Amino acid sequence: MAEKFGRQLRGGEHYRFGFDVEFEIESYLRYQGEKFSTYFDANTYLLITRALDYFDPAKDCQGDLAAALSSIRAQSLLISFSTDWRFPPERSREIVEALLAQKKSVTYAEIDAPHGHDAFLMDDPRYHHLVAAYFDRIAQECAK
Amino acid sequence: MTAATLVLRADLAQIAQWIPARSRVLDLGCGDGTLLHWLATHQGCTGVGVEIADENVLACVARGVPVVQADIDRGLSMFARGKFDVVVLSQALQATQETERVLGEIGVIGHECIVSIPNFGHWTTIASLLRGFMPVNKRLPYAWYDTPNRHFATVKDFESFLDAQGFRIMERAYLEDDQRVQWLCNLRATLAVYRFRQK
Repeated sequence: MAEKFGRQLRGGEHYRFGFDVEFEIESYLRYQGEKFSTYFDANTYLLITRALDYFDPAKDCQGDLAAALSSIRAQSLLISFSTDWRFPPERSREIVEALLAQKKSVTYAEIDAPHGHDAFLMDDPRYHHLVAAYFDRIAQECAK
Repeated sequence: MTAATLVLRADLAQIAQWIPARSRVLDLGCGDGTLLHWLATHQGCTGVGVEIADENVLACVARGVPVVQADIDRGLSMFARGKFDVVVLSQALQATQETERVLGEIGVIGHECIVSIPNFGHWTTIASLLRGFMPVNKRLPYAWYDTPNRHFATVKDFESFLDAQGFRIMERAYLEDDQRVQWLCNLRATLAVYRFRQK
């Protein structure tokens, strides 16, 4: 965001000291906000935000994530993006650590991408190649 | 050496021989996953590789080797509770920043450790230094100002370091390129491989 917008002003070089759009970043956020409001019912966002807040996978295991994941029988693939604040790499690493503590089969990739949480919507070849390769393996193993 | 191990690079073949069947293995700096794939296929081993490079992570995934993308220098706490029988660090220790800490960590994570290092005491290195230059050759192909290698040791350096760090060497192998070396090892070995555990 700093790279894309920094402190760039919307109009000219001087502050206007008003409450209207002053910085480019405000203009961008308002534009995106307006666009979103036509795609989605704002209430769904309230609901999703709440659901994310309530997501606490280790709740029934007194905060022990490894115990919570102990019943997993599948192999796991986790991918995080370096600039994602919604699901930051640290949280994914916690899941990896918990799965390893349970001797589960886990693969984890951390993709260095500047697009924040939206990176998973982009055409990032590293991300796509990994997922494709993982699915190819599944297909090969199923064909055996 | 069995026929099956011949498909592996010489140092990996040596490492593979020291890993008991059905072990749980952590391979730090696993590259394209060759060793873990071989161990899973021939020895029924499980475990995970650790790699920093995107292309190596992809190569591991493509051959079905579980891999975690991480920088060894940023700490191995993610693996601390992983209950590994063997931790492997093949030709990567010299490129780590905090070599002492990395070695301490792997000693705790694994019941046993297998580490291979390039031997800086090889006679070609000495010959090069006597001519007045840092060695640049096919095994150490980097100029002094542009190299991933931070810490060079001779086999004697490394063995005394292991001892000082509280490790007991269980087995060792000296290789000159792909051949096992039996005498004048500190001068003739290009690569040394050690199997050790905490005293």
